[in-house]
Amino acid sequence: MLLRGLTWLILFQLFGTAIHQLFLPMLPGPIIGLLCLLGWLMYRGDVPQPIELAASSLLRYLPLLLVPPAVGVMVYASVIAQHFWAIVGALGISVMVSLALTGWLMNRLINLKVGQPEGGRDA
Amino acid sequence: MLDWQGAVASVTHHPLFGIGVSLGAYQAAMALYERTRLVFLQPVLLSMLLVVGVLLACGISYAEYRHGTEILATLLGPATVALAVPLFLNLRRIRQLFWPTVLTLIIGGLAATASGVWLGWCFGADHETLMTMAPKSVTSPIAMLVAGQLGGVPALAAVFVLTTGVIGGIFGPGILRLLKVQAPEARGMALGLTSHAVGTSVALQEGETCGGFAALGMSLMGLATAVFLPLAVSLFV
Repeated sequence: MLLRGLTWLILFQLFGTAIHQLFLPMLPGPIIGLLCLLGWLMYRGDVPQPIELAASSLLRYLPLLLVPPAVGVMVYASVIAQHFWAIVGALGISVMVSLALTGWLMNRLINLKVGQPEGGRDA
Repeated sequence: MLDWQGAVASVTHHPLFGIGVSLGAYQAAMALYERTRLVFLQPVLLSMLLVVGVLLACGISYAEYRHGTEILATLLGPATVALAVPLFLNLRRIRQLFWPTVLTLIIGGLAATASGVWLGWCFGADHETLMTMAPKSVTSPIAMLVAGQLGGVPALAAVFVLTTGVIGGIFGPGILRLLKVQAPEARGMALGLTSHAVGTSVALQEGETCGGFAALGMSLMGLATAVFLPLAVSLFV
């Protein structure tokens, strides 16, 4: 079951890679694969159990999969040390401000929508 | 005479050493995080520090570690594809919240990208660094591609992406709590849109809906950046 689901995920990614090479150089293969799988799931109307199993198993270990690229920081240690405050300051302030704005805005818009009468679903 | 040095070298240069260290560091980091729940002990950050420590102590280069952990990096592709599942499971909710999602994407996405570049410029970063910083809120494969197109440094873009993600993952839940953002859809959207995969992994721990919207925010932001950022830069710079 797990292997069958994993095979599907890999097939979708490989398909995405082919599309990336042929038509869409600005989008990476995995993202195209994600969109194709989403389209296929929407067409089917439900998630086949093998895919559900493989997806939840892989996503549980998503932080682990991010460790090797993260370790790449050590190669740029000297560049980063040189511009440490500029980098951490700019990235840190920017992500915190935009995260606060995004969360607040979305929460606000959801509450506005919930506040509407039930009939207002056509929006 | 036992050849201790040879034994140590053959262990540390074994093809499985990198994966073993990563698995060990990850489990130690997870255990510590779950026991303490301290925000700054973000598992990805802590595992990264542990692995870097071990590699430096054993005198192993990043290139060798990277080579040994190729399989983990390769699985990141199917894991990205797998995000379609939580996305699909939340599709009905997403359809109901279509306009809030689109408006938040446009305003939040612009704020995330523009504020990074503007602050970098204020802190005195050069053109190349600014172009590397621009796609910082996007998942690293897209960011690396886009940074390359803009004339930045792809590998450094991955570092900026990770720094952004880790800072967002550490402080994000606290900031959202402080602002009383309670809707899981809004929390997920904020985490995924600004802190990509790291934010999404934090959001997945909060619950299915939160994780689904984080995956949505991450993929929409990735798409929008891949398509519009090179266009915007070629128009304005």
